[in-house]
Amino acid sequence: MRLTVNGIERGIESAPLTPLLYVLREELGITSPKAGCQQGGCGACTVLVDGEARRACLLAVAAVDGAEITTVEGLGAPEALSAIQTAFHEHYAAQCGFCTSGMLIAAHAYLEHGGSGERESIQETLSGHVCRCTGYVKIIDAVAAAAGGEITSRQKWLPQTGEESPVEVPGAPA
Amino acid sequence: MAIHKGRGISAIEYPTGMNQNGDPSQAWIKMKPDGRVDVFSGTADIGNGSKTIQSQIVADTLGVPYDWVTYDNSNTDSSPVCTGTFASRATFVAGMAVKKAAENARTKLLEIAGKELEIDPADLEVADGEVVAKGAPQKKISVADVAVAATWTHGELITGTGAHLNPYAPIVDSETGRVELPPHAAISYAACAAEVEVDDETGNVRVTRLVQCFDVGTAINPTLVEGQIEGGAVQGLGLGVLENCYPYYPSVEHRGGQFGSYLAPGMEDLPQVDTIIIENPSAGGPYGAKGIGEMANNPQPPAIAAAVYDAIGVWVTELPITPERVLRALEAKAEPRREGKVVIFDEELSVNSVSNGGMRFEVPA
Amino acid sequence: MKAVGARLPRYDGVAHVTGRTTFVDDVRVPGTLWVKALRSPAHNADIKRLDTSKAEAMEGVHAIITWQDVPLLEYGHLSALGIPADEPLLAKDEVRYKGQPIAVVAAEDETKAQLAVEAIELDLEEKPALFDVRKAFDSDAPVVHQWGNWYTHFEDEMDRRQIRKGSIQEAFDKADVIVQGVYRPAAIEHVPLETQVCQVVPEADGRLTIYSCTQALYFSMGVVAAHLQVPLNRLKFVGGTVGGGFGGKVDTATETMCSLLALKSGKPIKWRWTREEEFLCSSTRAPWHMEIADAVTKDGWILGRKMLTLHDSGAYSRFSPYGLTKHSFHHTGAYTIPNLEFDGYVVYTNRVPTTAMRGFGVTSVSFAVETHMNRIAKELGLDPFEIRLKNANRIGDTSPNGIVYTDPSTVPTILAVADELGHELPADYRTMSSEKREGELLPEHLVGQLGNPEDH
Repeated sequence: MRLTVNGIERGIESAPLTPLLYVLREELGITSPKAGCQQGGCGACTVLVDGEARRACLLAVAAVDGAEITTVEGLGAPEALSAIQTAFHEHYAAQCGFCTSGMLIAAHAYLEHGGSGERESIQETLSGHVCRCTGYVKIIDAVAAAAGGEITSRQKWLPQTGEESPVEVPGAPA
Repeated sequence: MAIHKGRGISAIEYPTGMNQNGDPSQAWIKMKPDGRVDVFSGTADIGNGSKTIQSQIVADTLGVPYDWVTYDNSNTDSSPVCTGTFASRATFVAGMAVKKAAENARTKLLEIAGKELEIDPADLEVADGEVVAKGAPQKKISVADVAVAATWTHGELITGTGAHLNPYAPIVDSETGRVELPPHAAISYAACAAEVEVDDETGNVRVTRLVQCFDVGTAINPTLVEGQIEGGAVQGLGLGVLENCYPYYPSVEHRGGQFGSYLAPGMEDLPQVDTIIIENPSAGGPYGAKGIGEMANNPQPPAIAAAVYDAIGVWVTELPITPERVLRALEAKAEPRREGKVVIFDEELSVNSVSNGGMRFEVPA
Repeated sequence: MKAVGARLPRYDGVAHVTGRTTFVDDVRVPGTLWVKALRSPAHNADIKRLDTSKAEAMEGVHAIITWQDVPLLEYGHLSALGIPADEPLLAKDEVRYKGQPIAVVAAEDETKAQLAVEAIELDLEEKPALFDVRKAFDSDAPVVHQWGNWYTHFEDEMDRRQIRKGSIQEAFDKADVIVQGVYRPAAIEHVPLETQVCQVVPEADGRLTIYSCTQALYFSMGVVAAHLQVPLNRLKFVGGTVGGGFGGKVDTATETMCSLLALKSGKPIKWRWTREEEFLCSSTRAPWHMEIADAVTKDGWILGRKMLTLHDSGAYSRFSPYGLTKHSFHHTGAYTIPNLEFDGYVVYTNRVPTTAMRGFGVTSVSFAVETHMNRIAKELGLDPFEIRLKNANRIGDTSPNGIVYTDPSTVPTILAVADELGHELPADYRTMSSEKREGELLPEHLVGQLGNPEDH
């Protein structure tokens, strides 16, 4: 079997029924997809299979023989982040970071498929991805920002000094 | 069938640091020969952002830019004791440890700078990567040059250690539970309003809005503290209406072993979340911070329960407020028992109804 | 340029969004053996026979450990605080909850480890199990521990946590209304996206490197060192980057057993819990049973509170005595109540031991006292904002155990929420502050309650 992973063609030696997640993590050493549940329930292992967001834990590798696979490593590098990676970083959409890879891949697919950036459509598309840290607020903000939609969360900070943050930080949200 | 809207509120408080204190954190800092700063702390970052928060504290205390700070919490060989990331202590207690370490490193830094500038270190201050003479800003030397001088001229290491420990507050009287020392590092406060829609046919409770105000002491990083409050809000929503290890508690049957059978909140459960941060600085925390990580999921369940009552006129006091419980409560329409000036709710749940006499809840007549 | 107060980017933000953050499961050590556990299928049982010999002989199996392999079998999470240990690392004569580990196997892969687990011979004699904390004190209740069904080692060997303040009798005599209610929040799972996971590497110098997802590196190192009876410098914990914890990773769930397997096999060891194990066998937030009776006046002052808490600890103590004490310290919530009688018990049941979780000990009591507050407001026909603002802690008010509040913010946080909602309040409420009580805010029952904030 062969897979093209993040643009590089790789021969696969795992048994045909091995989950794609296991092939990526254990055979190819690509660790961004996480084994959050291996039940298809959390979305942390999500990767792009020929452009579609799929759960790598539920896919037998033989079923995707010849496919193009994209993981977060293939979205963008630290010095050249993709739009969705930049939005996640600027909106603090990752806390512990464990769900982030799967969430990013699903959000990337949403943008690629012309997602409107409206809150309801983001919620519907990403609803199968569990995040326990953020309460989803800043994830939705990030996806909305990347899609040119409206930021719906509301925050008010009343500092003791009566002044807003004195420093504008490059890369931080306004 | 109808959808009923309701609103409820709550107000809570929560301690920072381990209950009764006695939970140390330690840290040490060293400066590289170009002025860059290495922080060694044993605080695990569980997503709460303690790597960021502690780096910010060190940057300001040592007077260097944030991106000069490298933070290493990776192992117990290089990092000293931190009791851990729990009890809302990572910003306050562990933050105080890195702050003290930075203060001590700053003392050393100014000592070397004093030699270079031939000025008494007490007359020097440091900010933005430069050591400057107080009142004479033209007399200055960059932190990087001080580090160079320390390494190559003076044969010294700019370093500092710090430890923070609020003393253990023993219970001095087991009868009354009295303590004589504060049993917390600080206390934080919050208030919350929940708005819900209850479907009286299905029993489903949808939380539509949470408005929350938290006193965080000082927001070391306002976006990170928002993240704690928002993440807590949704865990509180889970506690209020969704999550249960034992759906028929106290029975242990029907436990859910999968995401499909244990209802952690999903993205579609997210209500409108409005967050208000106010700052009432603590006396003993780094730059006045208090810990709010844990309490972030405490105010929602009672506000939701009150909102459900406001919507449909029944109290559900067993969590979570599931459709089944809502429908059963609507069917029972239980009224409290009134006896003189006593109003007794939930009698069927009381030990007085369930225990065989081994435990009673007696109320003074 | 100030860093404190600035919306600086997350230190680990770029690593997170590029998938490069290294969690324990991402550590790669060649030659690693995988672990599976034999767990109790019964809620409460005596172990009659445990035989691992067939499993040990299986292909690919390198080590199996049972209670006999643990130098110090029982070490409590809070042993260092003087709270006695009551939980064996691996079950010895009895199992007290379904899912309790009895033996762990290290084999060349997870499948071989699981097959070996299934080949371990185990005979149990089941006993009646206790699940309802309200029945734990009855003479006919099933027995969880030989010494009893509740914890008995609070100060002066008391079997409960007590708070006493003022005169509860007087408060109830003076009350216009007494409101009683029962509150029962559920056990919930922590649900970190990263399940419990550990990798242990035996090093050439005889040390163990322990890659851990613990929330508390030194705490967990202390637990492992105690069970192994080795000094701390035999161990190196590597961690600090955790895929969500919420309190559940304060328990040292995997590190000790993996260390013992590494020592016994001489090979690197890895144990990654399945999601089923995480849901069904990992510790949970505790279910709580709370009963409150409040003595109140018609105009909404709370004169006194009597409260009973039964904290469902599950099968072992772990952090529960600590959690109940914290609970008791906060049982008046954000308000000043001068007359108190609180009794709380840590009650054992035959369910998975409960542990710390976000808000430990207080999430429960916040739900109870705040729902009760809303009921009182409804019963008295008062505005729920106003009754709170009136009773809210102010500077100089005292806590249940006698500590003076120095910087409370109950009033400003409530006012901010009212403002955001557009909830109208009378002028005298709108202008309230946290300043020391006086005038109408210092009614007779609170005179003499005030302390000097300078004292604390």
